[in-house]
Formats: sequence, C-alpha cells, structure tokens
Amino acid sequence: MANPPLLEVRGLSAGYGDSQVLWEVSLSVPRGSLVAIVGANGAGKSTLLKTVSGLVRPTAGDIVFDGRSIAGMAPQQIVAAGLSHVPEGRGLFTRMTVLENLQLGAYPTQVRARMNESLERIFELFPRLAERRNQRAGLMSGGEQQMLAIGRAVMACPKLLILDEPSMGLAPLIVDEVFRFVKKLHATGVTIVLVEQNIQSALRLADRAYVLKTGRVVMQGSGAELLANEEIHKAYIGSLG
Amino acid sequence: MSELGLIAELLVNGVLFGAMYGVAAIGLSLIFGTMGIIFLAQGAMIVLGGYAAYWAFRLLDVDPYVMLFLLLPVSLLVGSAMYQLLFRRAAAMQDKNTSLLIAVGLSFMLESAMSLVWTPDPRSITTSYTSSSVHFLGMNWSITRTAGFFVAIASALSVTQFLRRTMIGKAVRATSEDMTSAALVGIAPHRVNMIAFAIGIALAGIAGCTLAATYTIDPYFGFLLSLKALIALALGGLGHVGGALAGGVLLGLIESGSSYVFPGWGDAFGYAAFLLVLMFRPQGLFVRTVTKA
Repeated sequence: MANPPLLEVRGLSAGYGDSQVLWEVSLSVPRGSLVAIVGANGAGKSTLLKTVSGLVRPTAGDIVFDGRSIAGMAPQQIVAAGLSHVPEGRGLFTRMTVLENLQLGAYPTQVRARMNESLERIFELFPRLAERRNQRAGLMSGGEQQMLAIGRAVMACPKLLILDEPSMGLAPLIVDEVFRFVKKLHATGVTIVLVEQNIQSALRLADRAYVLKTGRVVMQGSGAELLANEEIHKAYIGSLG
Repeated sequence: MSELGLIAELLVNGVLFGAMYGVAAIGLSLIFGTMGIIFLAQGAMIVLGGYAAYWAFRLLDVDPYVMLFLLLPVSLLVGSAMYQLLFRRAAAMQDKNTSLLIAVGLSFMLESAMSLVWTPDPRSITTSYTSSSVHFLGMNWSITRTAGFFVAIASALSVTQFLRRTMIGKAVRATSEDMTSAALVGIAPHRVNMIAFAIGIALAGIAGCTLAATYTIDPYFGFLLSLKALIALALGGLGHVGGALAGGVLLGLIESGSSYVFPGWGDAFGYAAFLLVLMFRPQGLFVRTVTKA
C-alpha cells in the first residue's frame, strides 16, 4: 500500500475494571474511506469507539492515527488531533441552543479561528440547523438532534469522524435522511467510521466492513462482499431482508 | 412604627440578606456542576473574605466596598491556586468523596486558622455609614444591606453573562450537563474545573466583603453559611444562576418571616423548607423540567 491508513488499530484489548470487552482487535481505515463496524448488541462496537476516542483506556495494543500513536491520550487531545466521535445517544448539550452546541464543536484552539466558516458549511449541508439555531437542542426531534450531533463533530474539522449508531431510535424515513447526510459528508472528503445495528444500510454505504462478535473481529471484507455473504444474512439480517 | 411597617421592613431585610446566600449558592452551583462536589468550605471562604475586608479597613483604612473590587482579582487567583494545589489530583478520580473530604478539611482548617489570627471574638467594620439608612417608600433601608443586595444582583448578572457569552463559559455549562460529551468536543476538564472553582471563590470574596460591611463575623460562622448556601441551592435548583439567587432570597424571606411569627425559629424553618423541597420538588422550585427527547 502506497498510502498509510489514516487509522490503524493493532491488537487492541480494553474493558471496564475486571471485565475485558475487546480482545486483540485489529482494523485499518484508509484515508477517504467509509468503514462500517457491524455486529450484534454487546459485541463491543461502542467500547471499540470509546477506546479509540480516549474515553476508555486500552489494556494492550496500539492505536495509530495520522502517523502517531494516540493510545492512552485524553479525549480532548484526540479531538484536537483531528478525530471526532459522535457517541451513542448523541451526547448533545440539551439545555443549550443549537448554535451553542455547534460553537462548542469548534472548541479546540486549532479550529476555533475557523468557526464561522465551519458554521456556514454545516448550515449549507443541513439548512434546518440554520433555521433552528436559537432553539434549545433538547427540544428538537430525534433526527434533527442526530444531525446536530454530527454537525457539532464536523465543526472540529476532523480528518476522521466516528459515528456510533446514528440511526438509533429514529423512524425509517429519518434514518434514510441521516444516512444521506453521512454520504454527503463523506463526499466532501471526510473519512468515516460507522458503527451500526442497521447492518444492511451500513454495508451498502461502506467501502469496507468489519464484523465484531464478543469483542473479536470475526469477519472482514468490502461492504458488497459482506452484504452477499450467506452467514451474515442468517446471523444479522434475517430471511426477511 | 406600625405593625404592618415592621413586617414589611422585616421581609425586606430578609430579601436583602438572602441575596447574600444566593451569591454563595451560585458559587456552590458552579463548583458542583463541574467538579461534582458540594464545596463545604464555601462558607469559611466567605468568612475569610470578610476578615480580609476587616483587616483592610482596620489596618489600611480601605472602605469595604473598595476592598470588594481589590479582592476580586486576588480571589480569582487564590481560587485557581487552590484548585491546582488541593483539588487537581482528587478531581480526576472517579470517586468524589476524596474531593469532598478535602473541602471539609479545608473548612475546619480555615476556621482554626482564623480563630488563631483574629481570635474567636466577633469582629465588625464600622464605617461612617454603617448604621445609617435611607427613608424610602415609608421604610428605612439600611445602606449596607441595600448595597449588599445590589452587589448580589450585579454578581449574578455578571456570572450569567460570562456563562452565556464566552466560549469558556459555554464550556462550563456544557461540562455541567454532560462531562463525557464535553471531553469529546475537546474541553479539558481541569481547565473548566479551575475556572468554575476560581469564580466560586471570587463570589465567596464578594459575599464576604458585603457580609463584613453589614454584620459582625466570627471564625465559626462559615459552616452555617455553607449550609445556608446549600439550602438556597436546593430551593432554587442546581445549574441555574437565577434560580440560586432566587433560592437565597426565598431562604432569607423564610427565615425573617418565621422569626417574626416564632422568634428564634428562623433557622429551623429554613431547614424545614430545605427538607420539604428535597422531598417534594428535588429539582428545585424555579426549574422548569425539560424532558430529554
């Protein structure tokens, strides 16, 4: 490979206290790609993302982002390095306005000077956030909140955006809208890691995908390959799909 | 004076004094929101601010309201230094009990130190205007109490503007709501903790100056003040500057009102209100409940 990957996770183990959740997970995210991580509930997807963004400390292995190791760094240092994480449940500041949430997205000093540019960019990508800029984030609909959460992460001008279950709790029509938004963002050049339980949609979007099961990578391949895979169908998508 | 005039004056005094509880409560609220502890040394810090004003007046002839402005930058610095020295390590721990114990230890240490330096005898600042008052709306308005009230309003407005307008103020609000999300947008917890703590101490300094300009202080008054600030906070609801101030005013009213009807029972009614609010409206009286979507 001529180009080193933007993110490389090598033999990563992590957990909470005495219970280990991740077992030597390795994966690689090329620059400009959209990588999906799929798997059932409790497979360790969220823990993997939390370890990458610094919320959970790894017990073994390494995380190399943009050419340097970020394993064990504090979350705010990792954001400043260009890796933004939209957590499961969105993690919005619900008592603050839409605009304030977005402004806080540009908190790291390196990107704060570009705040107005970034705001314009996000309002262009998602005009409804511009209309609602003075509304409290907690009073918006679920879909709008998810857009805001993604928009806030984009305010940090990330090289890599990791999204944890952006479709969670949303009606199917809204889910489509969220995925369209993710696609649009990807088209602007942001590398994306997408964790999803909505496996079919995720695999359709993804260049590459990893299947996680009980904290281990059990399968990997291109999105299309996994989508056509018999086992995946049986285990995760079901006969109706 | 008529009975009615007396009641009115009592209630007004309750409001004026309660505003000082409110200032202390705003400080508690900021520190609780970021560091997750009830800073029980807040009252002792207020009394320390009061003694600073007392010394400035006695030794250097500095007016307490001038001292208030001098004390502001000093207390911000002292607060930052205290955070770095005493709380930085404990604040990083998951278990908040260590921070809480440091605050309790600090409170007792300050009490002892103050009683060594200033003796346990009550002290007061007597300026030319301390006992004067202005006749207005058929009532006598004590100059120092009224000034204290306006200082409280000005403090509350300043803190509100800081939290609304500045980036670091927004970061303090964000951290108060969700520490994990705050870290994920790049907010360094120690910086926000330190700033909230420094403002809390500055508010203690302000409250101390106005307190010493109005009443006598003694080294052991602090713990009671911490409790009063905590009650004001419970009445007003956590995380809202206006609510904390309103809670303080309400506590002042309850205390002065009940001590008129049942002399000597002011404190008891204050604590009773505290328990009732915690039992029936734990989010505070002035908070609109927002259901998270």
